[in-house]
Amino acid sequence: MISLRGVSLVYPNGVRAIDGIDLEIGKGDFVFLVGHSGTGKSSLLRLLYREMTPSAGDITVDGIRVDRLRRSRIPALRRHLGVVFQDFKLLTDKTVWENVAFALQVTGAHTKDVMRQVPRCLDLVGLSHKSRMYPGELSGGEQQRAAIARALVNNPKILLCDEPTGNLDPANTTEIMDLLGRINLKGTTIVVATHNQAVVDRMRRRVIRLENGRVVTDEERGYYFLGLGQDQILSG
Amino acid sequence: MDWGKIKFFLGEVFRNFTRNAGMQATAIGTVAVTIVLLGAFLYVHASVAHLSGDVFSKITISTYMKPAATSAQLDAVRTALAKDERIATATFVPKKEGLKELSQRMKGQIDTSLFTENPLPDKFRVSVRDPQLVPAVAASIRKLPGVDTVEYGQDVVQRMLQVANVGRRVGIGIIALFVLVAGIIISNTIRLTVFARRREISIMQLVGATNMYIRMPFICEGLLDGILGACLAIGILAIARASLVPKLAAALPWVQINVVQIDISSLVLQLVVVGGAVGIIASWIAVGRFLRT
Repeated sequence: MISLRGVSLVYPNGVRAIDGIDLEIGKGDFVFLVGHSGTGKSSLLRLLYREMTPSAGDITVDGIRVDRLRRSRIPALRRHLGVVFQDFKLLTDKTVWENVAFALQVTGAHTKDVMRQVPRCLDLVGLSHKSRMYPGELSGGEQQRAAIARALVNNPKILLCDEPTGNLDPANTTEIMDLLGRINLKGTTIVVATHNQAVVDRMRRRVIRLENGRVVTDEERGYYFLGLGQDQILSG
Repeated sequence: MDWGKIKFFLGEVFRNFTRNAGMQATAIGTVAVTIVLLGAFLYVHASVAHLSGDVFSKITISTYMKPAATSAQLDAVRTALAKDERIATATFVPKKEGLKELSQRMKGQIDTSLFTENPLPDKFRVSVRDPQLVPAVAASIRKLPGVDTVEYGQDVVQRMLQVANVGRRVGIGIIALFVLVAGIIISNTIRLTVFARRREISIMQLVGATNMYIRMPFICEGLLDGILGACLAIGILAIARASLVPKLAAALPWVQINVVQIDISSLVLQLVVVGGAVGIIASWIAVGRFLRT
């Protein structure tokens, strides 16, 4: 579903954000990207939805050669992807319903589809009863659920999440991660960049650890710290 | 037709338009000033062209032959004038007829019957197709054998041509300047609304809206600025024409202002098209800069 070969990203100021990454993520996978701030987690995600273009290497997402994509084809790529951010990026002057519908409307979708897809997604994230409220009237967790509903409204096969729980308390964090787990069960490939140790250790999914723009470890059913669960750290 | 889509689109345009009402008013006003100038210029230009067309069409080149010119030279000049494609008509006026014309024109002032001999030379009265070419044609006629002098009111014609050309150039320059200023102001207005909505635009790009789709509401906003400005200008021009023309006609009775027929509907159409085009181009540039980053 996602494949990177020899991908590097050098910023104009000379910083190597990504330094020769090879990576395969299969259909229906749930993957954590972990590492300190500034190790290239967000940069890697930005490369996948073509917010940035790699300096070298091949990137394929859902069969699309992202690194060679013409500018005019970027919207088509973005419709195959859902993206969720730490700061939600909701429009504060639109209701929850309008925020979710907006993502469909701007792709030129028919009103018929909007009327069908928006309730489906709001139902999935459990916000149907708050669809007429504005983001300012919601809790952080609810706002993030609205953002996830918006990301899903195009029926993407891949959901990219950049620190989705960074602004949330532990209870809301658990709620959001459970929601992502349920979405993954329906077959959506999910990539989550995070430095929340509790989240990673509780879910026990594939963990890709980045350091200085390189993959240092890649384990199935991993922990936040290499080979160590939280309980083991505490007891050791 | 998908009314939901149209309603959504028009809602976006309306929201943009009302967000910066002050700036929109400035943009519309600037367009209006530009279009008023353009309209007045086109109107005056058409009137002047009509009037001066009359004057210019009456310009003739009087070609006087030397008294000693032979009949062969006369024929040579006649065929040369007939061959010249710049010349519309060339009439030969023998000196007898010239004297008749003179006595008629000077009736009561000079008694031509007192002349013991005819002092007038033979002449050709030449009219030229394009008034701009009068000096050149006159110069080439003068070189023909047997031609004595050539007269066409040199000073007056040259002055008139100069004034007409300078007037047209200055007018076009001023209008080009105003079109540019109006474009810049519309562009800045649109940039303000684009800036106010930059979060929305980045989210639109994120969820896969095409640049064309993102552009559309802003282009419509610019178009609206341009067309509303043009309509305002046309209103001002109509009022100005209704109140000024009768006064002008009274003040300048010898200028037949009311005789000038100008196609008002095509003028209005031209002005609206210019306004709309300025709006579209300016907003296209304004949004384009934003989308590229």
